[in-house]
Amino acid sequence: MNRTMKRLLTGKDSRQGRWFFALLIALAIIVWLGLTTERFLTSENLFNLVAQAMPLIITAIGMMLVVLVGGLDLSVGSVISFTTAILALGAPALISIPGVFALAACIGLINGLAVTRLNVHPIIATLSMQFIVLGITRILRPVSGGDVPQIVIDAVAGSFYGIPLPVFWGIVTVLIAWKIIHGSRFGLHLFAIGGGIASGTDEATHNFGVADKQKILLAYVGCSCFAALAGIFLAGRIVSGDPNVGLLFEMDAITAVAIGGTQLSGGVGSLHGTVIGALVMALLANGMNSANISAFVQTAIKGVILLLVVGLQSRKKMGL
Amino acid sequence: MAALFNRTNFNRISRIPPAYFVFAVLLIVLWIARPHMLNINIMGIFIRQVVPLGILVLGQMLVIRVNSIDLSGAGVLLLINFYISSSMFPGASLPFFVAISLATGLAVGLFNGYMVGKRRVSAVIVTLAVNIVLVGIVQFLASGKPPGDVPSIFSDIYNTKLWLIPTPVLFWVALALIMSLFLSRFVYGRYVSSVGANPVAALFSGVPVERTVIVAHTIAGLMTALASLVQTASIAVGSVRVGHELPILAVAATILGGVVFGRGEGGVWGPFFGVLSFALLFVVMTTFGIGEPGKLITQGLIILLAAIFYGLRTAKSRT
Amino acid sequence: MQVAATRIGGDVKKRIEMSGISKAFGGSVALKNVSFELLEGSVHALMGENGAGKSTLMKILAGVHQPDSGEIFRDGRAVTFATPREALDFGISTVFQELSLLANLTIAENMFLGREPTLRFGTVDYATMNRETTKALAELGLDLDPKTMVSELTIAERQFVEIAHGIKADASIFILDEPTAALNAADVEVLNRHIRRLRDEGKAIVYISHRMDEIFEICDMVTVLKDSELVATKPLAEMTPHSLIAMMVGRELKDLFPERNAEPGEAMLDVENFRISASSEPFSMTVGTGEIVGMAGLEGQGQQRFLRSLVGQFEPFGGKVSVRGKALKFPVSKDGGIRYLQSLGVGLVPEDRKEEGLFLTLSIGHNIAMGLHSRKSEFSLAEGYGEKIRETMASMSVQASGPAELVSALSGGNQQKVLLGRYLAAGMSILLVEEPTRGVDIGAKSEIYRLLRGFANKGGAVVVLSRETIELIGLCDRLYVVHDDTIVSEMAAENATEHNILDAALSRQAGQVRLETTP
Repeated sequence: MNRTMKRLLTGKDSRQGRWFFALLIALAIIVWLGLTTERFLTSENLFNLVAQAMPLIITAIGMMLVVLVGGLDLSVGSVISFTTAILALGAPALISIPGVFALAACIGLINGLAVTRLNVHPIIATLSMQFIVLGITRILRPVSGGDVPQIVIDAVAGSFYGIPLPVFWGIVTVLIAWKIIHGSRFGLHLFAIGGGIASGTDEATHNFGVADKQKILLAYVGCSCFAALAGIFLAGRIVSGDPNVGLLFEMDAITAVAIGGTQLSGGVGSLHGTVIGALVMALLANGMNSANISAFVQTAIKGVILLLVVGLQSRKKMGL
Repeated sequence: MAALFNRTNFNRISRIPPAYFVFAVLLIVLWIARPHMLNINIMGIFIRQVVPLGILVLGQMLVIRVNSIDLSGAGVLLLINFYISSSMFPGASLPFFVAISLATGLAVGLFNGYMVGKRRVSAVIVTLAVNIVLVGIVQFLASGKPPGDVPSIFSDIYNTKLWLIPTPVLFWVALALIMSLFLSRFVYGRYVSSVGANPVAALFSGVPVERTVIVAHTIAGLMTALASLVQTASIAVGSVRVGHELPILAVAATILGGVVFGRGEGGVWGPFFGVLSFALLFVVMTTFGIGEPGKLITQGLIILLAAIFYGLRTAKSRT
Repeated sequence: MQVAATRIGGDVKKRIEMSGISKAFGGSVALKNVSFELLEGSVHALMGENGAGKSTLMKILAGVHQPDSGEIFRDGRAVTFATPREALDFGISTVFQELSLLANLTIAENMFLGREPTLRFGTVDYATMNRETTKALAELGLDLDPKTMVSELTIAERQFVEIAHGIKADASIFILDEPTAALNAADVEVLNRHIRRLRDEGKAIVYISHRMDEIFEICDMVTVLKDSELVATKPLAEMTPHSLIAMMVGRELKDLFPERNAEPGEAMLDVENFRISASSEPFSMTVGTGEIVGMAGLEGQGQQRFLRSLVGQFEPFGGKVSVRGKALKFPVSKDGGIRYLQSLGVGLVPEDRKEEGLFLTLSIGHNIAMGLHSRKSEFSLAEGYGEKIRETMASMSVQASGPAELVSALSGGNQQKVLLGRYLAAGMSILLVEEPTRGVDIGAKSEIYRLLRGFANKGGAVVVLSRETIELIGLCDRLYVVHDDTIVSEMAAENATEHNILDAALSRQAGQVRLETTP
């Protein structure tokens, strides 16, 4: 077996992790669904599936930014609900759309500051943020309702030559994310910082003159902003603000990131892996829906998948 | 400000768990705003409400001290509530319910411990995933509807008093005493301190690190089972929604009580007062008419502020 | 030497002047009022034992740490560096002692980390990076693909990449902090050629190394630090290896080490046909009662891996190990290995006392008693061990207010004694000690040697690893030279010198037949 093949299969000595494995799983599910479900392999169904998966793909990409630097953001679910609630306040899109990004950036900034400057464990910082943001969301909108700007609804609902618009937005988002993660110094530095954290040589990147704290902070800001983008998608789809729409989204996002081969200890991962990971989740949901599996059981199965995927990753450190 | 952050003063103050300050402040607020509530009957009822949380904290404190966390409590609680309130075990006796609850807690705790200690999976992810799985299973079994009623023997016991103090409160205090003695008098307590302070050094001094973590999670699982029994008795009906906030409140109370991730220090009584602070906090918030969202925000802020407090302290002691 | 001497005589420019530098970390002082000058076109050796303050002084110059007091002048102007980046911008480039490459990046990415060239739209210019890296590596005689992940490199290759990274920079001052620890003689010669070239170009170089012959071969000046203080700065031409060591140690070497033992007794630890990894040669070794045995050789050749596989921290490929004639169940498990070996009386004293050894936030008493506690099951009653702790503290003369004092408040030497005390108190009969005196002052050093010798004289057996060959030679009875994950030679410490240890280690590399080591 040559080196490239070995890298692909084991993810060893590769910075992209075991994404190839996720691709094989995705293909296996596609073959399975294609054989068992009628009309699965139609372009319409596949495009819809991708459109459905868009919020998860976007959230997972954001999550990946913080996972790369050895962190985790448990507040993305709340940020998504919060975004839908803000959009449904009825303000004109020109104000509300920049507004949600600004608010999300603030949330990310607080997370990032707590982690980098105040020495708080990422999980604790973002967990408390999850509660705070959820509380504010429930004050703004105790139950689902409100008016989402028409332009958001149109942008999500429409299609172009039979291809749903979200697919186009998704391609744009993924391209931007690719530029950030794999095509810029910032992205490279995230890998470097995460690699240092994972191997216990945190000061290495700092010694090389990389502004590590500032970049970790930006990763949290980016993560919240991606979550806000996912929130906009969802608001357009459900045409209202909903305090519960983002519930458990963080778990799905973490699962997608982990399936895609990104190491939760930091420094190893890839954008394509994350996108494939999110698609695996969407395909599974699609398959379970067509097999008439109850939504409750689906939740449980997702939990089991998460346990399996992270259980297979080996970490040096024990604990949180 | 400068005086407050003077290093020696800061260190001295930061050694005292914040729970004691918060408890004192809330007591004063309550004493000024609603003095008539400060009598043993009313306070007994309020404290009785937080007994499930208090028992949960005894386990949470242990896992946090070994630098782990257990967020699977809500799922265990739902499952045990379902055993008792559904017709799953018709006509079963109290000892049977206690036994199967403890067995469930033990199994979940062992699993968590194995995944965290042996497989080294992130504790947050494992226990949250276990939680999702358990909640999904219970909701599926119950088809999303409340299952039924709890046998009356549970609420009968729950409502008894001993020397004016509600039995559940006494049960909690007794458990806390046992835990406190266990940790201070047995070798296991030394293992916990060591693993919490420095797991690598613990390994090199011959501490069975993995086993210590597994045992901590197992005890936490058992505590969750006991807390679930008390909680089920207190609501007296089956539910598929109850207690989802309990594990995170337990983390908050533990941190408030001076137990910090990866410091190896802290005792049983700091978190104990952390729980009492929450009891008072609920009273104060209810009397001031603050709703559920406000409580969420307050909980989040308390965890964040307590964590920042310790973060600053570690940063100070490092330089 | 001649060239160097004339250089210093003339009115050469002072590239760097550090004056009155002091630095403390928490309670422990790392530098006390140290001054240091660096001239252009010179190679300046910075000497001192481990923990004397060399690395701290250089990290201040490199912008990693900021001094508590004192000033730095660059070409006569006062400067301060808040970050390593700023120091680099001032033309100060560093090869750090700790291998600080990132394993998940390629060689080229590591070489350019923090100053990657970019194309339009901020895209990283990989073509330029790879090209430049290939060139820089080729100059050092290395034929490595710049796109190779660092995780795939050997230790020596990593060290070369670090050197390439450090000396490639467009700088006028170069700090080389133990650049040769993992290199063999031929590689060192390649490095020396480059250092001479830099010197001839008028650059200033600080050179830190433990190897005496290198120092005398390449350096012009030497500054010696001892116990965080400056001893002296002198032209090397005025020094001999002997006088330099005496200056570093502050006393005659023979006074530092206790008397050797006459005759070792029965075998305590017996290792047969041990193979560290699948590709390494098998070897055997033995340690008897009353004996201190050292594992010498270049850094990272498998010494530590060997000791740690004995207690289950690495999985060896195979071998037979017996303790006092009793064969071990081998290999032992990772979680239970240390416990199992401790129950047989074998204790491993880890190298890094802060990260691996001590519970810094807990008391001295807890730290010492843990070795005793961990011989019990978790569900047995904990004893106080008050008498035992006091006894240990007294016999090791740990200076502290009492057993309740936090270990973090102690000096390095006292911390090291507490760590060693844990294993002595727990009644071990075989000690595997990694770096017994790293970062402790000379007084504590001599006491620790005395304690280890005393332990051996009472019937114990000790295996020691150390980066400081002088320490191994002075302390041990017998040395095994380790190279390439196997033992290549055995010698009496009495007859050993740094030189013949290095020779023994490297003779195998030259393709010679391996020395027969089994007795």
